[in-house]
Amino acid sequence: MSAVPQTVALPRTFALGPRAQRTLIRIATGVILLFLWEVLVRWLAPPFVARPVTIARALPHVLAGHVPLATPPFWGSVEATVIAVFEGLAIGTVAGVLVGLTMGRLRLADRLLRFYLNAFFAMPILAMVPLMTLWLGFSGSVRLAIVSLGAFLPICLNVYDGTRSLPANYVEVAQSYHARWWNVWFGIALPASLPYVLAGFRLAVGRVLVGATVAEYIVSLKGLGYLIVYDGRTFHQPVMMVAVLVLALLGVAINVAADVATRRLLPWYRRSE
Amino acid sequence: MTSSGARIHIDGVGKQFGALRVFENIELEIGEREIVSVVGPSGCGKTTLLRCIDGLVETTEGEIRIDGTKVVGPPRGVAVVFQHFGLFPWKTVYENVAYGLRLAKASKAQIAESVQRHIELVGLTGFEKAYPYQLSGGMQQRTGLARALATDPHVLLMDEPFAAIDAQTREILQFELLRIWESRPMSMVFVTHSIEEAVLMGDRVVVLRGRPSSIHEVIETGLPRPRTRDVFSTPRFNEVREQVWSLLMHEAEQAERELQEVR
Repeated sequence: MSAVPQTVALPRTFALGPRAQRTLIRIATGVILLFLWEVLVRWLAPPFVARPVTIARALPHVLAGHVPLATPPFWGSVEATVIAVFEGLAIGTVAGVLVGLTMGRLRLADRLLRFYLNAFFAMPILAMVPLMTLWLGFSGSVRLAIVSLGAFLPICLNVYDGTRSLPANYVEVAQSYHARWWNVWFGIALPASLPYVLAGFRLAVGRVLVGATVAEYIVSLKGLGYLIVYDGRTFHQPVMMVAVLVLALLGVAINVAADVATRRLLPWYRRSE
Repeated sequence: MTSSGARIHIDGVGKQFGALRVFENIELEIGEREIVSVVGPSGCGKTTLLRCIDGLVETTEGEIRIDGTKVVGPPRGVAVVFQHFGLFPWKTVYENVAYGLRLAKASKAQIAESVQRHIELVGLTGFEKAYPYQLSGGMQQRTGLARALATDPHVLLMDEPFAAIDAQTREILQFELLRIWESRPMSMVFVTHSIEEAVLMGDRVVVLRGRPSSIHEVIETGLPRPRTRDVFSTPRFNEVREQVWSLLMHEAEQAERELQEVR
């Protein structure tokens, strides 16, 4: 071995780690977009149109609960929408998992339901809001029905897919250890389908937020959606934009929570193969 | 040889999938402390036969009895080790090993004791909290073996358990299995496509042949136990291996010839 590996000392430069760099780029993009928004609106739009600066100015007032006269209360609206979103997700997830599992494991349930659920999934649920107001009145029940359906369909169809692609090996092992049908459903099919539950849940979050907001628009229910419509029409655009921001944050927060939960609860997922 | 009576009776068993007859007229008795290897060309139905013994697949002819009871579903006291390991990826090693006991509603203390003892037995101490994806193939099958043994079976059905494992690890596992069996002898049916493995493990080697296949020959290996690596160099081992080999080669050559005729 004659060749001795040479180590060359590189000059220490002022360098950021790759992670810091990415964060920096992200922030920079955001700042540029906000700047463009500000400039374009000042230049082209009438003065009541919201710009980053006016939104920022309105933000502390809104968060303190000081909203323009006759505007629905801010925190009350947040509460109403958030509760509906979580109720919808909870109902949709439980029902979606149960029905999806049943369809995946029982051929009869599959034949009875799949066609209609697929059709429902393809259809814009919001088209049913006017009909639902006839059935349920102009009440929170319409919003609850819309968000629950919105969460139910993607989760149900995903769990169905997951259960259908359940490796026969797992079932065979379970049977050889005398598993009963409920052991196979909830002990094997369900955990094996958890990644699918999660994928469905992510779709559901989007649908539920849209569903809640639009239901509030149409039915004039107390909630962020209604606040947005009201303040938009009464030229309180910065207040409206705060509500939009809260909805965006809500969506992001739920997805991040789902991500964290995945890493904590499904450490095997994506690494098993 | 059946030293203390037969535990498994296979009586004129045949299996048909639709129009396909897989095997027919299987007659075999397996003793309480006996290892019977089953070899045969791929597609001869040896794995299906094993599934029939565990009641996972229904027989279409004849019947199988274990301890006098006719097999209609997976019987108590019978455990299978699968070629595909069959570990649940969402369960840790500990939970995988505990699976059979949990389904059998064993008490907490019983599960803790048995699982720990069997993890130790297969040499996986320290990996209790590992997930299957973190283990090598050999370690995964050790987990599969521990899971089967934890239920304290008196019949162990091995479905090409080491076929998916690299050669060196396979040999280590073969001798570990023999060591474990020596410490608690039981009925074992060992399905394999490796002739060496069949001879090494078995008290008898059952050779399946034909289409539909049937038992062509049952060979007493007559090799002493406990078996160690030395057994490979004994004349008897080579003799039995050659015998099985020629039985199977004949079949393979015939199949080849038939193929050529078809062409």
